[in-house]
Amino acid sequence: MNIYLLQIINGIGIGMLYFLMAVGLSIVFGLLGFVNFAHGAFFLLGAYACYQFALAGLDYWLALVLAPVIVGGFAWITEKAFLHRIYKLPHEFHILLTVGVALVLQEAVILQWGIVGQNVAVPEALEGVLILGQFVYPKYRIFVIAFTAVIALLLWCLLDKTRLGAIVRAGSESTEMVSLLGIHVTRIFSFVFALGGATAGLAGVLAAPLRGVEPFMGVEALGIAFVVVVIGGMGSFAGALASGLLVGVVQSLMSTLWPEGARLMIFVAMAAVMLLRPNGLFGRT
Amino acid sequence: MMDRRNFLKLSAAAPLTAAFGKVLAQSDTIELVCPVPLSGPFAANGKFSEMGVRLAVENYGKLLGKRVTYTTMDTEGKPATAVRKVQEAAQQKGARFFVGGILSSEALAMSKEVDKAGGVYMTIAGADEITGSDCNRSTFRWSVPTYGIIDQTVRQVAEKFPNAKRWYTITPQYVFGEGLLHWSKEVFKAKGIEHVGNSSHSLAEKEFSGYLTNAMAAKPDVLLLLNFASQSSDTLRQAVSFGIKKNMIVVVAQSAGLEQFESLGPDICDGVYFGLQNWHGVDTPFNREFTRLANGATRSDPNFTVTSTYTCAKVVLDAIKKANSTDPKAVIAAMEGMQYEGPTGIEEIRRGDHQVIKDFYLLKGKPKAAMKNKSDYGDIVSSGKSFLPVEKTLCKMA
Amino acid sequence: MNASFLCQYRHLAMAVATVVVLPLVLTSGSLATEVLIFALAALGCNLLLGYTGLMSFGQGIFLGLGSYAAGLALLHLRIPLIAVLPLAMIVGALAAALVGWFSIRQRGTYFVMLTLAFAQMFYFLAYTLRDITGGDNGLLDIPRPPLEILGQRLLPTAGPWEYYTLVAVVFVVVFWVLQRIVDSILGRTLLAVRDNEARAAAAGYDVRMLKLIAFMISGAITGLAGALHAMLTGIAPLSNIEYGTSESILIMTVIGGTGKLFASVLGAGFYVLVGDWLSTLWPRWLMLLGMLLIAVSLFMQKGLWGVGTGLLQRVRRQGRADDTATQRSAAYD
Repeated sequence: MNIYLLQIINGIGIGMLYFLMAVGLSIVFGLLGFVNFAHGAFFLLGAYACYQFALAGLDYWLALVLAPVIVGGFAWITEKAFLHRIYKLPHEFHILLTVGVALVLQEAVILQWGIVGQNVAVPEALEGVLILGQFVYPKYRIFVIAFTAVIALLLWCLLDKTRLGAIVRAGSESTEMVSLLGIHVTRIFSFVFALGGATAGLAGVLAAPLRGVEPFMGVEALGIAFVVVVIGGMGSFAGALASGLLVGVVQSLMSTLWPEGARLMIFVAMAAVMLLRPNGLFGRT
Repeated sequence: MMDRRNFLKLSAAAPLTAAFGKVLAQSDTIELVCPVPLSGPFAANGKFSEMGVRLAVENYGKLLGKRVTYTTMDTEGKPATAVRKVQEAAQQKGARFFVGGILSSEALAMSKEVDKAGGVYMTIAGADEITGSDCNRSTFRWSVPTYGIIDQTVRQVAEKFPNAKRWYTITPQYVFGEGLLHWSKEVFKAKGIEHVGNSSHSLAEKEFSGYLTNAMAAKPDVLLLLNFASQSSDTLRQAVSFGIKKNMIVVVAQSAGLEQFESLGPDICDGVYFGLQNWHGVDTPFNREFTRLANGATRSDPNFTVTSTYTCAKVVLDAIKKANSTDPKAVIAAMEGMQYEGPTGIEEIRRGDHQVIKDFYLLKGKPKAAMKNKSDYGDIVSSGKSFLPVEKTLCKMA
Repeated sequence: MNASFLCQYRHLAMAVATVVVLPLVLTSGSLATEVLIFALAALGCNLLLGYTGLMSFGQGIFLGLGSYAAGLALLHLRIPLIAVLPLAMIVGALAAALVGWFSIRQRGTYFVMLTLAFAQMFYFLAYTLRDITGGDNGLLDIPRPPLEILGQRLLPTAGPWEYYTLVAVVFVVVFWVLQRIVDSILGRTLLAVRDNEARAAAAGYDVRMLKLIAFMISGAITGLAGALHAMLTGIAPLSNIEYGTSESILIMTVIGGTGKLFASVLGAGFYVLVGDWLSTLWPRWLMLLGMLLIAVSLFMQKGLWGVGTGLLQRVRRQGRADDTATQRSAAYD
């Protein structure tokens, strides 16, 4: 099989995870209008929740279901306790508050689980590789692609087909209008923020067996999420999916074409999008 | 409510008392300063470095009739912060003895600052320049630099597997990584090995599947990882998940030793070749003694960072004893050519470039079933001393 | 007119007082110098945030470029100190013009994201162009020449307090110039842009040009800080141009309080000194910093300066209340 085809398939695998890392950030920005700098910390919490489940001898599948709920709950509390009070303030304070939350969570993780990175085993059912002729790919990564695709579909259905989704989308256009229609917008805010946190947490659980856990993995995740969201368009679900895949595929192809420049290309691409299509590839103008 | 005059008097007095206090402090303790990252992404090193220095200081007893103490300073993993804190320590406390530092960028910058302050600095950082083109009188280095690392791993594996003629390398983009790659290529040339490909990556990289896919497509006999610490862990973990161990030999040129094995687990380490600066399982007088000491204090076997920092601290303290003085010049003179019992056996500080001449090890990871205790991750396959002669290191010491 | 003149004097006096007090309470010249250097960086950031309403995550770019420019000039060109400082300012201003010209097209959060994107890009550029910047090692062995004009030695810089004196003089001069700018028509126009951009544009101001000017001034000051930092440490490290540095500068500015220049000095001083002290007590000091940020966002949006003036007002109000109370009781006698 051609190396480039292999890299594209690998890129899709990476890209689906990037999509999941970014979609929460995008939706939160769409509705609440600010960038959640604690998004990476929710990813971190999800990964460590998975690690903790493994330490306690519990099933990975249990972690896959419960960890996002736990992280989502955390996000809900953060929104109710802190963010709630400062919506009226200029965006600088939203950003700074979430930066503070990210720092506190990171250091708390160190206090609880120590500072050294740890390994998280791939669940037994997914160990090993799939071999199709020349194509060799870990079963776990294939699972990640499939699972994330299902989640993407569920999210899309939620946003596109349900009443709740309609409210979220309408709220992204105009919160005033939505509240004038008699809907409790603030309650929706909490739900959306929790959902954003939950998706980040889920991404963390999926990433843990791939990369292990270490207390600073949230910083890198936030960086990736930013790039994906900016390229795709802030507030756009389709944008997060398309650009997540794009970034993943580009990164994978670059490792064959120009490995040194892989990281640089990603940020150049981001800057290029911001200059030429400032609202992102799929963003609203 | 204090009036302005008294406030000014008080604040003028403050630095005086501090200075006075410093004079008092100087006269009855000898202090080691350990500048390491305690916060930020490299904080794991800092924690173990501190442990090493603490063990050395607490178990030293009196030196020249004075008490031995230590302080750690958080460099945050940033060279500028490291330099500034070394300046502070030298200015505020007259600190002259510095131990530790594993990040090459920090260690290089600090070595110059300690030299300016006329102190003594012993480090475990890897960059060749530390005892090479940027060597200076104040700086000493314990770890084996890139030439030795490659000679004791790549050459040994090449000789063990003479039919493994295709090698693929994964290299981090910084001077240390490039040094490793350079010497690897020299060995390839000498052994008639085909270098089928190289992937260079940034120091921030966590996703190696692209590079591994590239590597597998080149069908090498050996995959050589030239990256370090968490990056080599990530690469190795992902490599194993791709089933690479079944198709090729995997070599990690410089491993962080026990701490890396513990974070990966035996299933990943099984069958992989690791280059090590030291191994607690090697039977030397130092290891026997130190393993007992570390287990008493931390209830676990000592890892690379703890052992190496402990050694550096002990060497500096021993040198002060040998010189019978805390004058840095005398201590430096005592350290040059000094021989001592170290983790690898008898180790010697080379006069010409202040590099410690010692063994470097090649270890093969063993399966979980074969582990005799929780730290028995592998068996030593070979070891030896490989160093460039001083003339070739580009070190010109004033 | 008279009141604002006195006000200007008062803030300058505070700046002078700071540079005089620091050597009295600190024993490390390097630490004191670092406070002033980051105070400059925070001033640059405050000009954008507090006075123009622009939250820039890219200040590290200018700090880093200033360090590299100074390092390269001192290592390869061997130009005197008196020329290095303006060079760094020019480099900073040009970089700011580039970053600003593109970023200003966006508003609000999009502007923030764009500066962040630029910051990441410059970091990876600096990392990749190893032959120029030294890559991960950075530039090393940067000399610290004494201050000379036409061969006449004005100020030695070798010792830590000697260098501090130079940095202190630069700091006070920059503060004074910045205070003049802020009090001038330009400054007040920037405030108008901050408060209501649409109205300022409607009133006929070229909002984009104003923002760009503010950006360039900010870049120049931050580049200057970078050069001074390179000479303080003798290195131009990669970490100066990292995203974390931009974040730290922003944090200092907000902790100090936006809207008054001297507040930035407070913020930088607090961050550098307390960070230095806390790191000796608890390796997890970043957690306390995080909590402080949360507290500032929730309760103390005006930062330390706001807390200080708030206390002062309460004391004055108490005094006035006491006065009226004594007056009233006197009336009853």
